[in-house]
Amino acid sequence: MTRWVIVADLNRCVGCQTCTSACKHANATAPGIQWRKVLDFEVGEYPDVRRAFVPVGCMHCDEPPCFDVCPSTATGKRDDGIVTIDYDLCIGCAYCSVACPYQARARVDIPNMAYGKKSMRHEIVSEHWDRRGVAQKCTFCIDRVDPGLAAGLTPGVDEEATPACVNSCIAGALHFGDLDDPQSNVSKLTEENKFFRMHEDLGTGPGILYLWDRGSQKDNEIVPAPPMVAEPVGMAGVSSRHQSNWDWRAAANFIGGGSGTGLFLATALAGFFAPPLWPAALLALALVATGLFYVWMEIGRFERFINVFFHPHKSWMSREAFAAMPFFGFAALAIFNQWQVLWLAAAASGMVFLYCQGQILRAAKGIPAWREDSIVPLIVSTGLSEGLGLFAIFAVLAGLDISQLEFISIVLVLLVGVRFVIWHYYRKTLGAKGAPAATFAAFDGGFLNLSIKPQLVVAALAMLSLWIPWVLVIAGFAAALTGWAFKFTLINRAAYNQGYEIARMPARGAGPSSVGIKPGWKIS
Amino acid sequence: METLKQKLRKQVSTYCYQCVAGPDLLKVDVEDGIATQIRPDISSADIHPAGGKVCVKAYGLIQKTYNPNRILTPMKRTNAQKGRDQDPKFEPISWDEALDTIAKKLNKARADGLMDGSGFPRVAASFGGGGTPTSYMGTFPAFLSAWGAVDMSFGSGQGVKCYHSEHLYGELWHRAFTVSPDTPLSELILSFGTNTEASGGVCGVKRHADSRARGAKRIQIEPHLSVTGACSAQWVPIKPKTDAAFLFAMINVMLHEVERSRLDISFLRDRTSSPYLIAPNGFYLRDRKTKKPLLWDLKSGKAVPYDRKNIDPALEGEFTVSGIEVGADDDKWTHKNIKCKTAFSHLVDHVSKFTPEWAAEICDIGADIIRNIANQFVDHAHVGETIDIEGMTLPYRPVAISLGKTVNNGWGGYECCWGRTMATCLVGALEVPGGTLGTTVRLNRPADNRWSSVKPGPDGFMDYPMNPTSKEDWVSKSPSRHAHQTLVPLAANSPWSQALGPTHLAWMMQQKGFENLPEPTQPDVWFVYRTNPAISFWDTKAIADVMANFPFTVCFAYTHDETNHMADILLPECTDLEGLQLIRIGGSKYIEQFWDYQGFALRDPAVNPRGEAKDFTWISTELARRTGLLEKYNTAINKGAAGVRLYGENYDFSLSTDKPHDVEDVWDAVCKAASAEVTDGKESQGLAYYRKHGHRVKKFSRQRWYLYPAMVENKLRFELPYQERMFRIGKELGARLHEHGITWWDRQLKEYEAMPNWHDLPGQWEDALSKVYKINIDDFPFWLLTARSMQYSWGGNAGLQMIHEVAANIVGHGGIIMNPLAAKKLRVKDGDVVEVSSAIGKTRGAIVLRNGIRPDCLLMLGQFDHWATPYAKDLHIASMNELTPMILELTDATGSGADLVKVSLKKLGGQS
Repeated sequence: MTRWVIVADLNRCVGCQTCTSACKHANATAPGIQWRKVLDFEVGEYPDVRRAFVPVGCMHCDEPPCFDVCPSTATGKRDDGIVTIDYDLCIGCAYCSVACPYQARARVDIPNMAYGKKSMRHEIVSEHWDRRGVAQKCTFCIDRVDPGLAAGLTPGVDEEATPACVNSCIAGALHFGDLDDPQSNVSKLTEENKFFRMHEDLGTGPGILYLWDRGSQKDNEIVPAPPMVAEPVGMAGVSSRHQSNWDWRAAANFIGGGSGTGLFLATALAGFFAPPLWPAALLALALVATGLFYVWMEIGRFERFINVFFHPHKSWMSREAFAAMPFFGFAALAIFNQWQVLWLAAAASGMVFLYCQGQILRAAKGIPAWREDSIVPLIVSTGLSEGLGLFAIFAVLAGLDISQLEFISIVLVLLVGVRFVIWHYYRKTLGAKGAPAATFAAFDGGFLNLSIKPQLVVAALAMLSLWIPWVLVIAGFAAALTGWAFKFTLINRAAYNQGYEIARMPARGAGPSSVGIKPGWKIS
Repeated sequence: METLKQKLRKQVSTYCYQCVAGPDLLKVDVEDGIATQIRPDISSADIHPAGGKVCVKAYGLIQKTYNPNRILTPMKRTNAQKGRDQDPKFEPISWDEALDTIAKKLNKARADGLMDGSGFPRVAASFGGGGTPTSYMGTFPAFLSAWGAVDMSFGSGQGVKCYHSEHLYGELWHRAFTVSPDTPLSELILSFGTNTEASGGVCGVKRHADSRARGAKRIQIEPHLSVTGACSAQWVPIKPKTDAAFLFAMINVMLHEVERSRLDISFLRDRTSSPYLIAPNGFYLRDRKTKKPLLWDLKSGKAVPYDRKNIDPALEGEFTVSGIEVGADDDKWTHKNIKCKTAFSHLVDHVSKFTPEWAAEICDIGADIIRNIANQFVDHAHVGETIDIEGMTLPYRPVAISLGKTVNNGWGGYECCWGRTMATCLVGALEVPGGTLGTTVRLNRPADNRWSSVKPGPDGFMDYPMNPTSKEDWVSKSPSRHAHQTLVPLAANSPWSQALGPTHLAWMMQQKGFENLPEPTQPDVWFVYRTNPAISFWDTKAIADVMANFPFTVCFAYTHDETNHMADILLPECTDLEGLQLIRIGGSKYIEQFWDYQGFALRDPAVNPRGEAKDFTWISTELARRTGLLEKYNTAINKGAAGVRLYGENYDFSLSTDKPHDVEDVWDAVCKAASAEVTDGKESQGLAYYRKHGHRVKKFSRQRWYLYPAMVENKLRFELPYQERMFRIGKELGARLHEHGITWWDRQLKEYEAMPNWHDLPGQWEDALSKVYKINIDDFPFWLLTARSMQYSWGGNAGLQMIHEVAANIVGHGGIIMNPLAAKKLRVKDGDVVEVSSAIGKTRGAIVLRNGIRPDCLLMLGQFDHWATPYAKDLHIASMNELTPMILELTDATGSGADLVKVSLKKLGGQS
């Protein structure tokens, strides 16, 4: 087997950005897009300060989260370790971007030009139209590696078969080679030196190995995670930033999807006890449809939306899309012939849809606030609470009898309680593992979220509605509102990406190595 | 299609010499006539010290070529008013009109006489980048040579932004225009602010990376943690301008705490002036008959001339001796049976007060750190060991000291250069494998390699072409506006000397003449190429005001910029990827270019020139033709003004002198001569050969990296520790100046000390600012510093988007770096927009908090004072250039200043 990797010798790297520039040349990336770049880390307090430079880019992971989430199968994983993108398949949903813990992917809809709107002559010659609106990232220069191999050359040894960044490196810090070949340059370097991989704890198996000191690394020795520093100084370039791939339109899908499927379930179940509340059912369908419409509006190549169905065996986005079909199908049939089983089938499909939404977030490994296991029950319970809350409004307006309303109130209190317990667990787990400080600030600073005070208000209103039935309208709306606020916060306020870290500050020459830093993170 | 595309693709060989750390070789991918990609020239990996790589700046060349802001036609100014606030109203004109206009001015200047009434050349020229523009200006040097006297004294960064004291004292002591560690062999490098990883070029970066990889240790001593500090084993945050105290204390430790036997006694005794006896008036005790300095021979028990054979000189001690002493202007004293100490003993006494504890307080560093570093320096010196270099056995002393900008220029530059070189001599690590080396010569001649420049001079030292200070020969009217021959003996009078004089004096003189120097005059014609003094100097506002008064300025213009804003004619020349030229490569060149080869490399045009841009050689030829200088111009080319003499012992490719030659014909002849030179006349391939191969070299012996063999061969000593010659010259210079009523250079005369003392250098800055600007220095609590960045240094590339984009990955570009401890006191946060003020100016920018800077310092990377250069002017990046006063009080005896000023900081509203 072959496993292409890059070994970056942090003792050698000087942060000159020659690799960054060479990559921009070789791949003609648009201004502002850097498939390869070198980060500038600083650790310590004056006068005991260390500084180091870390080349980053696509890590070509062993277990690439981008590959799993990609709904169109545009992202591929080759046997030789290289993670690829088929620009002709990609729909530009940017799911891979939020799934990547290394911020390695970008999408450019209309490229910036270096100087205003008019392209320079070399920009025209080098324009990559196929990259518009789709995901792009470092390719490990497969356009050099593959032809090089075909010509009998050795990548990492022969220039023509070696990535541009490695060729350009003036400090001899970057090396490309086959880690499965014990005689290769990279195998020897990793044998003779200690190395770490970034965000090792995420289990992605990244394909850039960072040498940080001389001496062999013992088998199974894993460099411990670096200390979190919540408020680092001068680290804006490497600290976690809010994801910019999914905006309010994505939030609308989670809001519409959760509320819609929850509302449909409540409406279907209520059908066992009362005549169907058609307006509630129609609103449920409209909410889900609207959410999906907004997602469709957000993708880069909306004409290729059909490709979203291409990867159901791995991608929760594909699965969500598939779940939407029976949901709308059974619902449409139920509207026409009103069989209860069709209502239930549609509601069940909606639940699958809602579950997929939870899993979509969980699979987004690049966003610490999303990837928690408990995000799935949290999303589901929130959707159910929102749905029941909305249903309660319809129930009061439709004049359901008092006992039915009391039942709804009690279930709503229970759901709000469950939702709060799950939220509490989620928040506690996230806090214990640590996350970007800004994520906690977003959660803890919100006033309409799932934390205790708003939920006590919702529960109190629901309880009050046992005596004053019309209060259920307010309670229901409050339940929905707090859910929406949470999701909007989750997608648009708390979705800070993984950021970068340096596990160890490298030994420079005869100097010592020292502890690294995970900037912008904290335990909370 | 693919096949067709393949056909349309080609790779062109060229070089990058945008910065002084070059030249480096590269390839340009050209697709359908458009340059699309820069690549390293791996085909030169075996000959180039950095394996054929080029740095980030070279990758800016594609954008540089196609930058829409380029000036693509000759232009003339239509607004007669000049100034920053004036729109030049440039209008396109034809090449004929442009060249005729220039020729008319030149012809008139020639008719009026090459020199004006004050004795200054009527034509002046300024080129930037430490001489690198020569590699892009084709045959323009031949035109200048044909013209005659040209004033090159209007500086564009020299002095304040170069390694000025090092240039002058380095050449004096060890033929070191710049100084470098012998990085491939060094075990320990003490770097006082040398920013190798930013400005050492690819060779510097590669050599130091290799050195780190084999476990060498570099200690970075500087006020902020630069990229070089980041790559070092240890960072020592020294207070600005106190490096000399640190070095003095190191010498103190080595002489007063380390066992004498651990020093390189034989080196000191045989290769330095340490045994020379010092007479009571501070000059050498000399032999009555021969006037040669005396030393004490332990073998015979008497004083003998230094070059007597079969002697055993006493390194230290006090001896009763007789002889004469020769002072300034041939003052003589005869001494009989007086007690004289050796220079070494004087040194021991001299540094006794410079203890680590003394330095600790000045440098704001623990005495233990200084002591420890001094001891490490001795520990790693391997005194007594040797190494084989290509069959020659040489001393092996793998310890080196390098000095950075602001350390080795301005006040304190002399002290630091002396301290560095002296500390190095104590362990015999000067100009030997592993030690501290010079790179190249610019003031001494010949410049082809350093060995050739080692010629015996007086008193057993190397000769040096000092500007004379004797009554008879002192030049009271220097043919340059900065009076380098009048004021700076060390600046010498080589073709490079004008650029190494006190270049800011030429500008200052335009503001107000200097008493008893010739009346200041403006040049009739001023040529400017690849330099932008209106933003890259000190007190740039004043400089811009001065150039606005020049009557006729011709700028070879890439884009509109701050200097050519004042121009009368703009000429668009072929840029890096468009022009044709052959240059010398290899040997030992400055910064860290130590090659095992030497020869030539071609700058082959990768693409056709854009617009009406013309090759510099074509422009030069046209100027020569239109000024009637064609014959002289062609003759100059034949003599080597284009880099290679076109004839030799058994070859002659001279151009006919009576007609203009095509650009390619000129360079074809140069290529042929280069081939002949490389092959000792055996071969004569021309341009086609270089187009195919890119370069042609022959072996350059590594032995020539070291001056030591040449010193031994010539039986010469390094002129250390005692500066008797400079001491005498200083006295003579003082006498000459005073005889001519010049007293405004008196402070500078104090630098001529036989051994430097500590002069409270930070206090000197503060006192100067307080005195000149009548300020309370306490209102300006921060030292403002700058540092080079690899992305920008010397590149003239602040107008390139890609450079700006990638530079942003390195913290500090675009902001003002400040320590969080200091920021907290002023309630300043990361990103806050602040105003930084000195006594003369203000700048503003966003704060970037970093722990890697002293709390009493602020740092602004790069030189970004742009207000006219497209793209760059919109970046609004803080720059210290308008804040640094250009005053005599901050000018040292070599004529340099330093990028250093005290400032205050005020928080403005807003965040970046």
